[in-house]
Amino acid sequence: MKGLLKYLVLLAVVMLVAAACSSDDSDSGTDTTAAATETTAAATETTVAATETTAATATTAAPTEKIDIDFWVAFSDESRLGFANDRAAEFNEGHPEYNVRVTSFASYNDVFDAAILAVDSGEPPGLIHFFEAATRQALDAVDGDGNPIFKSVTDAIAGRTEILGEPVVLDSVVDAARNYYTVDGSFYSMPWNTSTTVMFNNMDMLNEAGITEPPATWADVETACAAVMALDDAPSGCITWPNHSWFVEQTLGQQGELLASADNGRTGRATEVFLESDGMMNYLEWWKSLNDAGYYTYTGLQRDWDGTSNAYLAEEVAMLVYSSSDTTFFDDNAEFTNVASFMPYDGDVDYVGNLIGGATIWMLDGMETTTEDGALAFLNFFSNPANAAAWHQLTGYIPITQDAVDLLESEGWYDESPNSKVASDQLAAAKNTPASLGALLGNFVGIRDVITLAIEDILVNDLDVATRMADAQAEAQKSLSEYELLFGG
Amino acid sequence: MLILGLVVAAVLGPLYVWWQNDNPTVKRYGIGSAVAVIGAAATPFAMGRCAFNEGTSGVDHLLAYSLMAGGAWLALMIMQALFDRSDGKKSDSAAMTGEIRTGGFRLGWWVPWMLLSPTLIILIWFLYLPAVQTFTLSTKLTKLGAPKSVDVCFGNFTELLITDPWKLVAYPLLAIAAVYGARFWLGRSERGTWNRKGAEVASMFAMLSIFVAMYAMFSPGGGGQVAYRPVYLNTVIITVGIVAFGMIGGLAVAYLAFRKIRGGSLYRTFLIWPYAISPAVAGVLFFMIFDPTAGIFTHTMDVVFGIDVPNYRESAVLAQSSIILASGWKILGYNILFYLAGLQTVSTDQIEAAVIDGASSWQRFVKIVLPALSPITFFLLVTNLTYAFFEVYATIDFMTKGAPAGKTSVAIYEIIRIGVNNGDLGRGAAQSVLLFAAVIAVTVWQFQTSGKRVSYGGS
Amino acid sequence: MAEGLTPGVKRRTWIRGRQWPYHISLIVTAIVIAFPLLYAALIATQTNTEIFAFQMTPGSALQSNFDAVWFGRDFAGAMWNSTVQTILVTTGKTILALLAGLAFVYFKFPGKWIVFFLVLITLMMPTEVMILAMFRLVSGLGWQDTMAAIVVPFLASATGAFLFRQHFANLPAELLEAAQIDGASPVQFLTRVLIPLSWNVIAALFVIQFVYTWNMFLWPSLIIRDESKQVVQVALQTLTNIDGALTYGPLMLAAIIASIPPAIVFLLMQKPFMSGFAIGQQK
Repeated sequence: MKGLLKYLVLLAVVMLVAAACSSDDSDSGTDTTAAATETTAAATETTVAATETTAATATTAAPTEKIDIDFWVAFSDESRLGFANDRAAEFNEGHPEYNVRVTSFASYNDVFDAAILAVDSGEPPGLIHFFEAATRQALDAVDGDGNPIFKSVTDAIAGRTEILGEPVVLDSVVDAARNYYTVDGSFYSMPWNTSTTVMFNNMDMLNEAGITEPPATWADVETACAAVMALDDAPSGCITWPNHSWFVEQTLGQQGELLASADNGRTGRATEVFLESDGMMNYLEWWKSLNDAGYYTYTGLQRDWDGTSNAYLAEEVAMLVYSSSDTTFFDDNAEFTNVASFMPYDGDVDYVGNLIGGATIWMLDGMETTTEDGALAFLNFFSNPANAAAWHQLTGYIPITQDAVDLLESEGWYDESPNSKVASDQLAAAKNTPASLGALLGNFVGIRDVITLAIEDILVNDLDVATRMADAQAEAQKSLSEYELLFGG
Repeated sequence: MLILGLVVAAVLGPLYVWWQNDNPTVKRYGIGSAVAVIGAAATPFAMGRCAFNEGTSGVDHLLAYSLMAGGAWLALMIMQALFDRSDGKKSDSAAMTGEIRTGGFRLGWWVPWMLLSPTLIILIWFLYLPAVQTFTLSTKLTKLGAPKSVDVCFGNFTELLITDPWKLVAYPLLAIAAVYGARFWLGRSERGTWNRKGAEVASMFAMLSIFVAMYAMFSPGGGGQVAYRPVYLNTVIITVGIVAFGMIGGLAVAYLAFRKIRGGSLYRTFLIWPYAISPAVAGVLFFMIFDPTAGIFTHTMDVVFGIDVPNYRESAVLAQSSIILASGWKILGYNILFYLAGLQTVSTDQIEAAVIDGASSWQRFVKIVLPALSPITFFLLVTNLTYAFFEVYATIDFMTKGAPAGKTSVAIYEIIRIGVNNGDLGRGAAQSVLLFAAVIAVTVWQFQTSGKRVSYGGS
Repeated sequence: MAEGLTPGVKRRTWIRGRQWPYHISLIVTAIVIAFPLLYAALIATQTNTEIFAFQMTPGSALQSNFDAVWFGRDFAGAMWNSTVQTILVTTGKTILALLAGLAFVYFKFPGKWIVFFLVLITLMMPTEVMILAMFRLVSGLGWQDTMAAIVVPFLASATGAFLFRQHFANLPAELLEAAQIDGASPVQFLTRVLIPLSWNVIAALFVIQFVYTWNMFLWPSLIIRDESKQVVQVALQTLTNIDGALTYGPLMLAAIIASIPPAIVFLLMQKPFMSGFAIGQQK
């Protein structure tokens, strides 16, 4: 069986060299390459040693013991995760006594589940990145002794205007985000990526069809679609957006319709969910009619951000309703005239307001005061005007503080890329009512799945909206009631 | 209600003794009765008799009774094995243990335990313990990270079934009656007659009726009820599809490739390599081929044949077919590999004799090759079933994520969707128990049919 | 490859008559089977624009796709994690299975049949049916995001234990007598006598376990959340979105890279693999 052994050795060498190459960006790269050329046995040991020293240099560089702050991020793409990594590195440089470590996770749910487990096993992170729909879930999360896992950042800041030299930016957070995340008068988590839904228009295609302005209302969309689909070289569809419950919630906000009891869970715990409201029926009937007419393109997957964005970029549709988070991406990648506009609304119903979406950074309770101050300082540094503006420019998420907006205006950014202003303008146009704030309710993630599954069923299997939503309502209500049974009071 | 069940057990226990023993003594009848009652009482007392509390439904009672019957049956079987041993009868288990009565080293008793302990510790800690916990979890309403949980007894199971207890009893009984009826007919018919043909067709339908009965027993959903019937149907369709495609395709290719031909081993290598591909990668590759925007399939159909293929994720048939195709493709290599090995064992003399008799190649294949391959076919059937039950998860996750509207959500996918994505551990565990039962059924069938052949696939 | 498997049966004769129809049909079949991978290899070299244009020649983006996958998303790290996991599981499982086989065949001890059944029954207990409880159990140990979580639970295997049991039981009994006369301990007997006679079985088990472990998806996707600790099969999933949108090229390239190690192991070890199975199936 010499062959087997030989092969094993060969495989090990290939893997080691490959892994060594990947760590080339660090200074120890030369060590590793050198090691790889040595004999196999030695290579194994040296590579392991080399990686260990890379890790070790980070901690031993500072004379004193550093305070580690783990920051768990639900992004894994280079640009957004890279942004977090860069800011952490800058912060660590400015505050040598701290070491903020960014760890990447594939999804918000992954971050949250991992955090719950980490709390149970006694090694919780300091900060986690978690999304808006699960705000109730985060507030309800408790450790083994029944104490809340997270601490309100308002309480932790306790009126200070500066922490470790970093000016506190919490008071400058724009209203839309502040109102959404304020629960019981306290601002629990620090907003980071915040966006709203906007529409992206392929103006070349619309102009060709004789439409000169991006459609504003549902009726305008239908008119535009009729014109686009009548073109000789008509695309396969006219408009698309992901089948994500967030879009449903947006239209409920536009129509001033509540999704849950207790004023969308804003004046108390929501115990009832309303999936059969007039606003819901109105929107889903319209959506279905667009689908039936062949105007709406369904990619066949729920929450399919990638597929819908591809359909738009591949010019298979003329319009894309999407998150403003990718404004910069579309500006950079569209090979046609890409214009952003407000999310279309029903012109027959008084417009109330669109809501935000995105995620905030939650701080875990139970840290030492010095550690906690480091975490707070990092949060405020992370969203300081320069950083918040850079984040907006990188992605299209709204600038989260008024100071950042002012900075961007003074730099003339909005004149340069007018599409980037649409999201902030749309949020500024909203009336501050419980409907346009969006709902806080238990098991919202599960209920969102109930909604999108029902919509998929309606679109794909051509079901009656009212009948299917009655089933969805029963299922969602059961899910909420069970949540309240396990978590409430 | 509970007492009624125990009384029935007390009566049925002696009946079992009468059926299994040649000349049972009064003492044995007594023991049989007692053992049956103890076995039947084990589950209700372990679960605090919750199935008979107020507010429970007929279906709950039914589940409790079937568990009691199962417990009694198991206890009686163990009792019978002890009786047989004292009678000096050779039972199945005696044959099994006889097979392991080897030895040689005469060292301390602890030496073999030392050698076995790592295996045993891991099996107990990471298989037996979670298995028990799965059953415990399945009786609870609980969520990941929730501060409390609620006991729901059989609630998580009841909601997967239809609400009428009488139908729940009737359907399986009808199916069993059909199977035994067909078996009876088969026994009474002569080989080669039309009567026999009829009996064979009937027994095929009788086997199908088991699946139909199970379909009818699962809850169809609607009105906030859990819909398990579609999940069951998806699982059956996708499983049957993968196994049929993988095995028929595997046999066909192997039959083409087993002949001695120049460069034969090179060809074989190029046919079996998908074995090494993972279900996840299979999902990725077919995700690309069928992608509605950029995939070659839609494009070719449109450009070459002028067919406007709809998005495969919007049509149940297309979505299920694409999953079957991707998974079948992945498992094809494995099947070809084993069929190639199996075909080497087919006697060439027999084939040559058949050629002289003037049998057509199809007749040769059906009359000689297929029967000779049946042990391999059976082995592959079981491994392919396991594959289609579990490994298909990754392929589905990459290709359809259950779309359209849950039409490709098979049992294992549903367990993860409910148990992990929705964090509903109790319901997920209850569905796991169902899948567990299916696996046990397949394994028991395998052991019975193949005479304790050990499977080599998977872990 | 499969020749010599069954010495008792007459060797296959060469095909009578013309061979080329077989050659053609085999080549066509091989191409059909290879198509998904060939297509993926083509896509792996292209940019999204080239893919949308259905360009059928290699594109311009192989290098950038590779950089995006290997360095940008640290697919190298995932490959490393998978390699460590696979080597540990495969080695550990083989050792444990050898020890169990030794105990089953060469020892008599009270309670042996109980142990035998305990191991036998696990054949019908796939991890997947108890995955939720196992998730709670393993994370309760604080093992989430550790190598232990994806290695330790898979170290014991009924399949392996029975494979070796069957193989040892078919070896001549004189081996043990000779070893006992030499005064060899069980472990010496195992390493000096049994293992040299078992390379084919070990190789067969190695291939199965290598492919099985490398291709594991569901369990790591649950218990490993930290991207830097992730294994390749799951890491593929985050590659659907490289920079804001679905990018096919890097995903296909990563899928191909992820398939290389098990494919090499399988192809290089075909022969011992098949003869190992033949030993397993004699009886």
